[in-house]
Amino acid sequence: MKKLYIVVVALIAASFVLSACGTAAPPAADELKIGVVTDVGQLEDKSFNQASYEGGKAAAEKLGATFDVIVTQNISDYKQNIQTFVDQGFDVIITVGFLIGTDTAIAAKENPDVKFIGVDQNICVDEQGAPDATFTCAGDAATLLPNYQGILFAEEQAGYLAGIVAGSISKTGTIGSVAGTSLPAVVAYIAGYEAGAKSVNPDIKTLTQEVNPDPAKGFNDPATGKAIAQQFIAQGADVLFQVAGLTGQGVLEAACDAGIYGIGVDVDQVQTLPNLSKCIVTSAEKKLKDTIQAVAESAATDEFKAGEVFYNAASEPPAIGLSPYHDLESVITPEIQAKLDDAFAKMKSGELKPPRK
Amino acid sequence: MDVLLDIPVLGFILQFLVYLVQVIGSGHIAPIILGLATPIALGALCGVMNERSGVVNIGIEGMMLFSAYVAFMTALFVHQAFPAEPGALFGATPALIAGVVAGIAAGMLISLLHAWLSISVRADQIISGTIINITALGLTSYLNRLIKPFDSAGTFQSFRPPAGLVNLPGIGWLLEMFTAVGPIAMSVLVLVIITQVMLFRSRWGLRTRAVGEHPKAADTVGINVIALRYRNVLIGGVFAGLAGAYLTLEATGSFQNNMTAGRGFIALAAMIFGRWTPLGAFGGALLFMGSQAIGVAIRLAPPSGDLGTFLAGIQQAYPSIYNNFFTGLPYLLTIIVLAGVVGRSNAPAADGKPYEKESPT
Repeated sequence: MKKLYIVVVALIAASFVLSACGTAAPPAADELKIGVVTDVGQLEDKSFNQASYEGGKAAAEKLGATFDVIVTQNISDYKQNIQTFVDQGFDVIITVGFLIGTDTAIAAKENPDVKFIGVDQNICVDEQGAPDATFTCAGDAATLLPNYQGILFAEEQAGYLAGIVAGSISKTGTIGSVAGTSLPAVVAYIAGYEAGAKSVNPDIKTLTQEVNPDPAKGFNDPATGKAIAQQFIAQGADVLFQVAGLTGQGVLEAACDAGIYGIGVDVDQVQTLPNLSKCIVTSAEKKLKDTIQAVAESAATDEFKAGEVFYNAASEPPAIGLSPYHDLESVITPEIQAKLDDAFAKMKSGELKPPRK
Repeated sequence: MDVLLDIPVLGFILQFLVYLVQVIGSGHIAPIILGLATPIALGALCGVMNERSGVVNIGIEGMMLFSAYVAFMTALFVHQAFPAEPGALFGATPALIAGVVAGIAAGMLISLLHAWLSISVRADQIISGTIINITALGLTSYLNRLIKPFDSAGTFQSFRPPAGLVNLPGIGWLLEMFTAVGPIAMSVLVLVIITQVMLFRSRWGLRTRAVGEHPKAADTVGINVIALRYRNVLIGGVFAGLAGAYLTLEATGSFQNNMTAGRGFIALAAMIFGRWTPLGAFGGALLFMGSQAIGVAIRLAPPSGDLGTFLAGIQQAYPSIYNNFFTGLPYLLTIIVLAGVVGRSNAPAADGKPYEKESPT
């Protein structure tokens, strides 16, 4: 009996190990290798992990490169996961999320021959090119770390457009936004959203709530997201903007149940959540997949840009915007659309700069 | 009244209590609290069933997660094979009902593994629970990637009680709490009361407690310790399975990797808070989740008066502490409570000790 028990335990342990790292096959020599290290959580987050994976994979297919992905399970594993790709001789490593930025900068300094692409990452380094804990950022990242590009999106611009929609269609004069974890990109979306709503209705009341400071919970807990959204609705909010990854699915479900409008984030969420299409009026998008694919492809050429690169309304094609309105097209009157077009044009020309926090 | 509220410190506490009464009484927050507390309370019931009969179960988290996945996938497959319009009662469809049944079956299956490891094999029960947690997370995440569900079978709808009932003065909020929710949340109160009565008023309950306190004595009077423990751990699996099904078929209509987010462990804390009684554990679940919901409420609709000014001042001065304080409140309460505010709580004496019948020689 005891022996059988040990066998069972061993089998279970083996199945877990296999499921955790099932894709690490030995790659052939001289081939271009592109790897993605995701942020904590999961690949199927219908947001930046998934888009980075798809963007990296699309670039790899186009370039005929080997492609692999490591899904980070814990914040403390960032460094080790990057090192795994470095040790296997990967040429381009895409790391996802603000929190993995410090470890990416360290790896970029240690491995000048490997190109690093950081999604949602500011690059803050001192004069030696090491991550700067004091955040004075005295070093010039582009020259000190010529192999590292930090991709930054102007989330506040996308949020601003979503805010114009919310401010215009709200009947109660109260709108809400749910933040998964208050990371810079999330804060930027919401700051832009509130500014956009106030631009069309100065008296509008904006409610906002962070789900959890731990991103593994904040972006991954739809049940709590729904409960928070229900409290917003009890306070009279009739448009809810979710910036909370998979937690946001609960927010949008609550909006649907209550017969009010929801606004999605990052990607066109009518496509990722088709059963909620009747209440998702639009989504504040950043073109993650296309941008990441383009940058990953540039890493194979001499056109690779180092340092922080901003992708916004002025990028060509625009890197931020609103998704199509699908079933709810009738809600967006020509008047609202005119305001959206006007704001977009002003952001493109630089005349309008929504707040980032 | 106003004089009382102006007393320093005590006035603040009174103002806060007045605010609590306002929020809970008229903020439609009570059903939300019950919804949040449902998986915790069911998990805690699972814990009570196990530990009262002498089996430690820290694998509730994993049982819930695995059941949540099985329930979701079963409902989805049935939904795709036999699409049906939501029924009049709770928006129930054959798919959702099949999902709940499958979730319960999955919970029982995992608890059978736990029972076998900890009762028959007499393995370390902490290890067995840990294996369940790790395996459930790895397996469900792997399957979730392999199959990539895109659609959803939907969710049970909350019952909408008549407005007259909800607006009753004094008790309206309480009626709303237990009626303006879905079927699984509604069943929690019933299950808690049944378990409480059975555990302390029935022959089975007496035997269960005997087996958890002194299995040898129970054995000498002819109680089959092993069989009773197996049965109770399996019943615990029913509760954990129901908690999992709640997460994917009633709270939300989706499955996410690791979506239990520590609820199985908060359930254990609620169980200890309630001193291993079903009613106490339910109270603990309501307290923990109520503090979470009220933390959100305070930020959305701050109290007025001196207390409001005071809180606004703190928010201005220390925004990050203020914002995180309410998120951390359930955990803080857990620590305070477990550190002894509820008084000494004794686990069943034979908790975690496998029973070995002395071999007749």
